[in-house]
Amino acid sequence: MWPRRTCREVTRLVLQNEDRHLAWHERVAVRLHMRICDACPRFRTQVRFMREAMGNWRRYSEGEDDSLK
Amino acid sequence: MTDFARQVESLRPQLLRFARTQLRNEAWAEDAVSDTLLAALEKPQGFAGQSQLKTWLVGILKHKVVDQLRRHSREATVLVDDDGEDIDDLLFKPDGHFRHIPQDWGDPVAAFGQRQFFEVLEACVEHLPPAQGRVFMMREWLELDTDEICKELSISSTNLWVMLHRARLRLRECLQMNWFAAKAA
Repeated sequence: MWPRRTCREVTRLVLQNEDRHLAWHERVAVRLHMRICDACPRFRTQVRFMREAMGNWRRYSEGEDDSLK
Repeated sequence: MTDFARQVESLRPQLLRFARTQLRNEAWAEDAVSDTLLAALEKPQGFAGQSQLKTWLVGILKHKVVDQLRRHSREATVLVDDDGEDIDDLLFKPDGHFRHIPQDWGDPVAAFGQRQFFEVLEACVEHLPPAQGRVFMMREWLELDTDEICKELSISSTNLWVMLHRARLRLRECLQMNWFAAKAA
């Protein structure tokens, strides 16, 4: 049986996923938790949002994108 | 002064701004930008003219920023995590559940079309404690992978994970407060 992860543990993995490839058992643990949790899927969406935001900022600040209002 | 030199010089304030955000130290930022301008003026033929001048200069600046970080990484204060607060404890109850369920941030594309959003984002990155801000920007702006960051700065991966973790949680908190909550109000 898989040990139940807390939101605190799952958010740590969600954040580490930004910087490293998670091991398969970590991925499974995250997926299982996401099924039964309302908060962590929101958190993950926010982390993705931040990743995209940083990418957009980088392109914008490097002068590749001047389309901003 | 040649036209080229004038154009390069005119981008100095923008370069300085990036360098400051990344390095969090005025003197190092000045040095990184000076090195960048010198390199550009010494080798103008490196600029092929296909990309924008700014893009080319930012590319050089990134290397000079890493040089500065490497040079100063042995100084005791550069990478000591200066975060007195345990941000996890603010976010989670002792049993590991969220204290408050994270808010739905809505459509990202709407935010990314607005200059104001990036101003808030930049301010939030600048408000990170310096050590966290430096490693976060190495990861996100210089696009170095974590092994490279550890190597450049001679820090352990555990140390780096902790700082990146805290930096991202703080950034999230700051965006929540200063963009999403402010917009809803």
